[in-house]
Amino acid sequence: MTDDIKTVIKDVILKEFLPGEDPSELTDTTPLITGGILDSIATLKLVMFIEERYGISLQAHEVDAEHLDTISQIAQLIRSKKS
Amino acid sequence: MTAIPLAGAGKAVGDQAPAQGRIGVTPYIVILLQLGLLTVLLRQFQIESAAFLRLALLAFGGFAIHAVLPMRYRLPFFLALSLVGTVLVLDIANGLSIIGIGLVLIGICHLPLSFRLRGTLLVLVGALLATLRAKWLQAPVSDAIWPILGSMFMFRLIVYFYDLRHNTAPVSPVRTLAYFFMLPNACFPLFPVVDYKAFQRNYYDDDAYRTYQVGVDWMVRGVIHLLLYRFVYYQVTLAPSEVTGPAQLFQYLVANFALYLRVSGLFHLIVGMLYLFGFRLPETHNQYFLASSFTDFWRRINIYWKEFMLRIFYYPAVFKLRKWGTTKAMVLATLFVFLLTWFLHAYQWFWLRGTALLEGRDALFWVILGGLVVANALYEIRYGRNRSLGTSAKTWRSFALLTVKTFATFWIICVLWSFWTAESLSDWMSLWQALGGKYTVDVLVFPAIVLIVIVVGNLEHNPLRNRRASEVESSAWLRARMVTVASLIALVGVSIEAVHQHFGTELATTIHELRSGRLSRLDTAKLERGYYENLLSVDRFNSQLWEVYTKKPANWLDVQGAGLKRFTGGFAQTELIPSFVSRTPYGTISVNRWGMRDKDYERTPPANTYRIAMLGASSVMGWGVGDGETFEALLEDRLNRERRDASNASYEILNFGVPGYQPPQQLVALDNALSFAPNAVFYVATGQEISRAASYMVEVVQKRIEIPYQPLREIVKQAGLEPSMDNATALKRLDPFDGAILAWTYQHIADQVRSSGAVPVFIFLPQVREEIGQDETPAILRMADSAGFAVINLAGVFRGQDIDALRLAEWDQHPNQRGHQLIASRLYDELQKMQPNVLGARDRTPTN
Repeated sequence: MTDDIKTVIKDVILKEFLPGEDPSELTDTTPLITGGILDSIATLKLVMFIEERYGISLQAHEVDAEHLDTISQIAQLIRSKKS
Repeated sequence: MTAIPLAGAGKAVGDQAPAQGRIGVTPYIVILLQLGLLTVLLRQFQIESAAFLRLALLAFGGFAIHAVLPMRYRLPFFLALSLVGTVLVLDIANGLSIIGIGLVLIGICHLPLSFRLRGTLLVLVGALLATLRAKWLQAPVSDAIWPILGSMFMFRLIVYFYDLRHNTAPVSPVRTLAYFFMLPNACFPLFPVVDYKAFQRNYYDDDAYRTYQVGVDWMVRGVIHLLLYRFVYYQVTLAPSEVTGPAQLFQYLVANFALYLRVSGLFHLIVGMLYLFGFRLPETHNQYFLASSFTDFWRRINIYWKEFMLRIFYYPAVFKLRKWGTTKAMVLATLFVFLLTWFLHAYQWFWLRGTALLEGRDALFWVILGGLVVANALYEIRYGRNRSLGTSAKTWRSFALLTVKTFATFWIICVLWSFWTAESLSDWMSLWQALGGKYTVDVLVFPAIVLIVIVVGNLEHNPLRNRRASEVESSAWLRARMVTVASLIALVGVSIEAVHQHFGTELATTIHELRSGRLSRLDTAKLERGYYENLLSVDRFNSQLWEVYTKKPANWLDVQGAGLKRFTGGFAQTELIPSFVSRTPYGTISVNRWGMRDKDYERTPPANTYRIAMLGASSVMGWGVGDGETFEALLEDRLNRERRDASNASYEILNFGVPGYQPPQQLVALDNALSFAPNAVFYVATGQEISRAASYMVEVVQKRIEIPYQPLREIVKQAGLEPSMDNATALKRLDPFDGAILAWTYQHIADQVRSSGAVPVFIFLPQVREEIGQDETPAILRMADSAGFAVINLAGVFRGQDIDALRLAEWDQHPNQRGHQLIASRLYDELQKMQPNVLGARDRTPTN
């Protein structure tokens, strides 16, 4: 299930925010927020996608580098919210 | 490579390898060597203050121990070092005050009460501290603690409490105390808003050697920024009155914005230093001059501030408002953030300076910038923006478009910045008249420099930011290291006088100037104005002058506040209050019945008395020394001790110095002085006489004061000065006549003195810090000579002396007791050498 989540998240990031980039360069540990890939607008778009896709609610204090900086962390957050 | 064994490292927690925090012997020595070079660099260029050098030595020495300690002791060691650093920089009493108050604030966060109650308590205690800061209540602590206490707690307490509230980061006493009292903070009132979660999460989360090396890199980068800042500060900045054409306008705009290098330099030093202790914090600034849009600018400049606003205010606001639609929520939240930034800017300044500054122009700046960011954000929401993992190649078309966008953004930001930092709206408006000036090829200089920097900057492959250093590929890593080491060696080498002497006089002088952290000519002029005026603009920005002012005690007696003068009306406007006595921390200031800061004299000199009338300003009056300690009084005593002979009974020197008097005001002082029948009149000039004379003429025109001297009225008429004119415009109009104002003043004084039968003597007295404010000196001396003064140049009177031992304080450059003694001694020697001897002329024979 985690791998499915990671795949979905990776696909949406590549499609929405990194069109034309080499998918192999985006790994599970690529820093998205701290690396400057996801700014606040992109982060909020991603949050909206996650909430809609997985039927979960994120809190404002969860929108930060601790929870959303890498695909692994995002998947972990979604898993913990769903369970 | 042998690793330095970590006693008791044992098993690591979670998935952290036992190698966490370990460093090999060779890399350890490499880091230490670089820190050694960095120490030399900091010393050679006098980066920041002596206190910072002490702190840096503590930090680097502490690193040497810290890096070999077992992991479990490192954070406590860092905390201990930070507390020692606080006491070392601020002294024991102040250090303990800060630590004590800090412990109370942190303690409140952890009280066994609801968060609402704890928050209320924090607000109440904060309000109490604010009343102490504002001096509404008497504080049992020194004023020196507030800037540092403020910078430690005013924002970090908000972050900490927010994380505590949401239980988002593990808390331990040691980590908490280390977060608030972190080592570099003791020296820097302006400090990045370090995020608590990042402080905890990024602690030793990467290879130790590479973490330390990044720290060294950033500290070197910080020093380079600070040196570039100094170059701009000393050599490139202009006053608004000096912006006479489009070339100067572009220079002004670029230099004004480039002064921000000071903030980015300091922040790089601070964060780099924290890296030495394992805190792998985010980069503070990201090439903000390469911003290609306003949202890009907001993301690149002061990243710590942006992250603080985002996490604590922006996201919560968006989440609260998103029931109205996400786009609307984002727009409103963005505007809220910018308005809050304005308010928090003023809040910060309150703690650092003790005054609340809610200025309309500040608010307008943030509203405009906020509006531009919102407009950009709406565009990005709709059309997206270019993002990259750093691997895709740029096309020439995209590169050209990027360059154009960056160039445009840069200049708009420069214009906005100039609006924000201008001393007054009228000064800013007057800048744009320069667009009507002469267009020569010089106009292209600064735009060309900006374009070259942008092109070179955008050519650079833009890697992912904040990657772990261990993920950087070896050859790239080595290349970057070589750049750091080469920069260190080159800068240290260039700083050595024996080396930079070979670079030619001009370059050698520039390098020599960069080696000291002093006020620029513009800030020095402001400092002197600040003796007599309340300078609001100093409070608004992190200028070098502002840092001097933060050290100034609130109860420091300003010349302006001393109550020595009264308003008389007329061309001179003020005079000393006759028979007035003031007790200052430096001794008594007694004004005699004639309005002189001097002992009493009869109007007519006694028989066989050689009388000298001394004209001047606050240095002559003796601001900062007690009665009898002025150089005038010391000279008088010495003349009476050592030069009395059979032909004269005594010497008298009458002190007509009035604080704040500018050259045209001395015309009025002269009339008074001549009524005391002096044998000689000594006119003491302290530098920048041309500028001061012009400024005073602008002031009298603005105040509609009648000018009793026909030649000066004529100059004002020819320059076209009007009372409604702003300072900058009026000074520009007067610029072609500056020299004429002073030349006529000197000529008139010399003529009047000679007409009365006395000898006119011009004495040039340099500032205690001799290298500043001297650009007008050669012209002043020529004018005095042409006017027929006997000229005495006291240049070098303070040379070779410790400046701090000669001036009152860093924020008050008047000579102290020792300074006055040196002046008196040198003046006595010069008078002895004069041919013909001024002191020998006995008969007052009027020449008219």
